[in-house]
Amino acid sequence: MSHPHPVCREIEPDLPVVAAGEASRAVAERVGRHVGSCTACHEELERYRAVEGFVGRLREAPLPGDDPTLARAELESRLADLRSRLVSFGIFPSPVGPILIARSELGVAMVRYLTGRTRGLAAEVQRLLGDDVVEDRAATEALHAELVAYLEGRRTRLDWPLDLRLARSNFHRDVLRATAAVPYGAVTSYRGIATEIGHPSAVRAVAQALRHNPLPIVVPCHRIIGAHGELTGYAGNRLSLKEQLLAVEGVRTERVAKAPHVARHALYHYDPNEQHEYCLPTCGEIARRPIGPITLFASPERAEALGLVPCTSCRPDLHPLHA
Amino acid sequence: MADDAFDTVVAAHHAEIRRYLLRVTARPSEADDLSQETFLRAFRAHGSLPPDSNVRAWLFSIATNLSRNHFRAQKRRLRAHAAAARERPEVDSAWPESEAAASEARARIEAVIAGLPLKQRLAFIMRKMHDLDYAVIGANLDCSADSARAHVFQALRKIRRGLEGLALVETEPMP
Repeated sequence: MSHPHPVCREIEPDLPVVAAGEASRAVAERVGRHVGSCTACHEELERYRAVEGFVGRLREAPLPGDDPTLARAELESRLADLRSRLVSFGIFPSPVGPILIARSELGVAMVRYLTGRTRGLAAEVQRLLGDDVVEDRAATEALHAELVAYLEGRRTRLDWPLDLRLARSNFHRDVLRATAAVPYGAVTSYRGIATEIGHPSAVRAVAQALRHNPLPIVVPCHRIIGAHGELTGYAGNRLSLKEQLLAVEGVRTERVAKAPHVARHALYHYDPNEQHEYCLPTCGEIARRPIGPITLFASPERAEALGLVPCTSCRPDLHPLHA
Repeated sequence: MADDAFDTVVAAHHAEIRRYLLRVTARPSEADDLSQETFLRAFRAHGSLPPDSNVRAWLFSIATNLSRNHFRAQKRRLRAHAAAARERPEVDSAWPESEAAASEARARIEAVIAGLPLKQRLAFIMRKMHDLDYAVIGANLDCSADSARAHVFQALRKIRRGLEGLALVETEPMP
């Protein structure tokens, strides 16, 4: 419709706005005054009002194909599938610095110490864990709370199911499982783990596997040490972190030729025997032997929690080590 | 846990988002696919959504982006759809047969909507069928709230022109 009059041309863009009820008061009044004296514009406004009415009815009218039931059921099943594959991660502060925790429906999949840089981290996590990775602090918050309690010594167990998807081989998985079984407040050697998984000579392979532990703290590779009590590597070159984690569990360390070692004279020793007896470090030659299959405990309670009993010759129950 | 929160999101918004996509695509199968993709994407991202976010507007934004990509990738389909929409038979209780003009008007309106440029169509449907704010519509279409409003009224003008010749209004003589 053409409007010959300049006022009508000026008013025209406002007509649909007024009809939609979205015009400002001033515009509505101006249009109202004009259509009161202009039949063409009055008619045009009414047409726009009719359009609004039709559009409103179109909105209310049933829409062919508007039954979401099947689509919803299909969506639920895709979501269930996605949930089983999905890995959620969160980044949190902790007593050992910022830390990343990732979990799937199966269990905790990755723990990583962060060293300042968080840019590009999501992409890196995705590269490691696959496409189905999302940042979701809420999903990992509970794990974080337990981890902090553990690092502060308020909790001695992290009973989390493990998702070992980042294990590189069956051997790697075996090493991680055996390490996960080393209890709180205890340390053993790489050789001990190698023996445990049936490959007693694969000491270096065990050390290498633990160097690539995707779940530090949770899989307590800090409890695995060299045959002479040396702490060896941890998280790159963060031996002090290993000492810190052991200290939380009551395992004392000392310097031997400037290198940190566990303080064997301050730890209870268990060399596998039929009587399941644990000993004082002064029992015979025990503290001078390579740790190998020996497990060291921070306290008699830690040893006895595993069902071990005091040695009947050295009597750690009668002569406890001084803390 | 967050998963339960997402179940609530699905329960609250799935039907509306699918209806939106059904209006946009006019094809139930495409509405199914796109609504599914909308919620799968939302599921991946909802954990990092700030707690006070407008989830409904956010879902509309994902659905809008997906449909724009969908149409960009398949422009031929868009034309086919416009033709299909014009051919759609009229069956409807809300539009009684006695109202012949109304029925004709609906057919014409649907044809005009189907033939609108995509941005106008999306803006029109979001505003007129789902009551979204112009600011939200603008954000979803990568334009300002004013541009979003302009799209909607441009669509209304086209619908108005599409109804040209139909006796919609009884013209009263001027006093």
